[in-house]
Amino acid sequence: MFNYKKKAALVSALLFASGAALADYPEKTITLIVGFSAGGGTDVMARNIAPYVEKYLGNDASIVVKNVPGASGQIGITEVAHSDPDGYTIGTYNLPGMMARTLDRDTKYSADSFTYLANIVSDPNVIVTSKKSGITNANEFIEAAKKTPKSITVGMSSLGGDDHLGLTKFQNITNTEYTIIPFKGSSGARTAVMGGHVAAAVLNISEVAAFKDELNVIGVAQAKRSEFAPDVETFKEQGVEFYNGALRGFVAPAGLPKEVELKLLEAFNRAANDPELLAKMKATANPVEASIGPDFKLLNDELYKLAKQAWETTPWK
Amino acid sequence: MYMDLISALPSVLTFDNFFAVVIGVLSGIAVGAMPGLSATMAISVLVPFTFGLDPLVALGLMAGIYNGAMYGGAIPAVLLRIPGTPAAVATSFDGYPMAQQGRGGFALQVAVVSSAIGGIASALALMLLAPPLAKVTLLFGPSEVFWIAVFGLCSIIFLLGESPIKGLISACFGIFVSMVGADPITSEDRFTFGQLELLDGINMVILLVGLYAMPPVIDLLEQPLETKEAGKALKTESLIRSLPKMFRFWKTWLRSSFIGIWIGILPGAGGSMAAFMAYNEARRTSNNPNEWGQGEPEGVAAAETANNADTASALIPALTLGIPGTAVAAVMLGGLLVHGLQPGPMLFRDNPDIVFGFMWQFLFGAILLIFLGGSLATNSFSHLLKLPRPVLGSIIIVLMFIGVYSINERMFDVYLMLGFGLIGYVMDKFKFPLPPVVLGLILGGFAEENLRLTLLIGQGQWSALFANTTSLVLVAMTIAVVVGPMIKRRLVKNRQSKGE
Repeated sequence: MFNYKKKAALVSALLFASGAALADYPEKTITLIVGFSAGGGTDVMARNIAPYVEKYLGNDASIVVKNVPGASGQIGITEVAHSDPDGYTIGTYNLPGMMARTLDRDTKYSADSFTYLANIVSDPNVIVTSKKSGITNANEFIEAAKKTPKSITVGMSSLGGDDHLGLTKFQNITNTEYTIIPFKGSSGARTAVMGGHVAAAVLNISEVAAFKDELNVIGVAQAKRSEFAPDVETFKEQGVEFYNGALRGFVAPAGLPKEVELKLLEAFNRAANDPELLAKMKATANPVEASIGPDFKLLNDELYKLAKQAWETTPWK
Repeated sequence: MYMDLISALPSVLTFDNFFAVVIGVLSGIAVGAMPGLSATMAISVLVPFTFGLDPLVALGLMAGIYNGAMYGGAIPAVLLRIPGTPAAVATSFDGYPMAQQGRGGFALQVAVVSSAIGGIASALALMLLAPPLAKVTLLFGPSEVFWIAVFGLCSIIFLLGESPIKGLISACFGIFVSMVGADPITSEDRFTFGQLELLDGINMVILLVGLYAMPPVIDLLEQPLETKEAGKALKTESLIRSLPKMFRFWKTWLRSSFIGIWIGILPGAGGSMAAFMAYNEARRTSNNPNEWGQGEPEGVAAAETANNADTASALIPALTLGIPGTAVAAVMLGGLLVHGLQPGPMLFRDNPDIVFGFMWQFLFGAILLIFLGGSLATNSFSHLLKLPRPVLGSIIIVLMFIGVYSINERMFDVYLMLGFGLIGYVMDKFKFPLPPVVLGLILGGFAEENLRLTLLIGQGQWSALFANTTSLVLVAMTIAVVVGPMIKRRLVKNRQSKGE
């Protein structure tokens, strides 16, 4: 997912196919539903990008953010799935969370409920260890678990999130076993590692960039090094093919009129390449890696498969 | 770092940035004074609007609101026995009896001065001691936090109220409410009956408004339209004249500030636990503990100092470690992130002007409380009391509905609040204490989550709960709180029987 080729050609073909009929959209205010409260990572991303999407939609477009927090975004995304597919309701979308929920709960939406607009943020996982543990690289981390399985406690933000699926993946690749400690939220997990209450944690690069000196960051689960911590090696560099992370993007209800969809895709695509926005995203710790329309849909399918695999082999509840 | 502190001062004193604090304090007091509206809510409403504002204007508003609301909650707690915020519950213990005795004006003055002192102490702690205090936070892992929660619960059950059994039942009810929603570890649904609205658990404000506002409001509605009381405004003398009467609280101010700051830097409990603990301590060490609960101004001083002393210090772990100690701190972190200010050790190095400016704003917010809070409370809110009682009750019901509805914009919460209101009314009639319910909801969740984390980390060994010194100290404190009053009662009894 972090290393597959973008199907940019497909997007541009779609864009060229767009006719003159779309000149009318948008005629009224677009509601952007954010499934988390104001000030959270997803909310800040949404509010930062909204003015740029407005700008590139033209027609004096106006986007109003509506926070519908609750149940890890489930309440908000359910509202998006069931609203009219007219382009006047769109919503934020988190992976793998939104897909994992369809596995571990009865949700009133599925992967087919949406028109996939754009994934904007891709925040790779990192594994960190406490200074006390003495573990400083991927090999030592693997060796310690091989020596005594389950002896290493690994904190994370929750079960069924990107951290948890990431560790499951890591265990499968390296044939190891760790003791999973699900905190409520990643800041709790991070503090517990800093205080030495757990040996390690799976977090995201944006969450540890400011704490590099207080922790050992042993690797980034991405093909390339992250601009947030250029001195930290990737797992690939250390011989472990481990890629995983959290994604944040935008969807609309399924069945969007083609011309509206194309207009939105174009606006998101241009916004995601706007240097001014990129600078803002960097300042708010949002690593941008855009996937537009069909690319985003493929990404979603891929992550759904992965989550399903994890759920079937090691259900978390 | 102290140089940074001083160089940040000029930018705080510009008109815009200072005006923001003033507006923040005023609106904070108003929000805190309305049952159902809380600082958390006010700041989360504000966050989206701050995108277009200068960072220090936005942060000044937030600092002002936080300080103002912590005091504002005391106004209805004193005048009507309805705590405006969870942290003001302890204020009503002695504040309301004072109001009934016609000393409500003095109670509010004590509250505002104490709030300001607590706020100033807390801001100073944040300015001068943030990095070392953050290290203390790191010492507290899951097992220590579990014991703090147990200690907090025990002190409420065994130190407050006449009947420990009734207190225990109330606390159990609170703990039960804390179990509704997704399991903290596995996210399995518990007691949600398939309602998505219950998945995140029951919001503190809904419980508080239902339990605490409903019984007094029903009381107000039961009173006749014309009473002698209705026309009575709040009698006050000027703050300058009443201030000397407060100097005897200096020990309580000092002790409560210390407790508030301490609770603030620990993850979890926040203002309400700070206020309860400070109230307990002040009563325990006073020479007239039996008069407490019947209008002892020192009780108001203890509670109000502590709940404001917790404000800025709760930001110490939030700013340095990114752990929001309280719900308000969590929302404030969001407000910082909006401006590209990411919590962490680098924050102080990368953005000293803004971070230290924010701290100054906290200090000014606390000082402003005396000037703005004193006159606002006595001049405007006391006019409300002149209204006929049933009219006042109806106004409060409207405010309660609006406040609770606006938490998540759904009627479900309003029905939930009405349900709790009924429970609160019955509990009130049968003299079950309400504070343990509130603390049970706040601390029950913490206790459970951290107990389970401790056991997971300890591979299922219960000995993990006693594995380090900090935990053992907390265990000893808990035992002292539970056993102490029993021994004391036994001793008193013995002495009495000997005397006969």
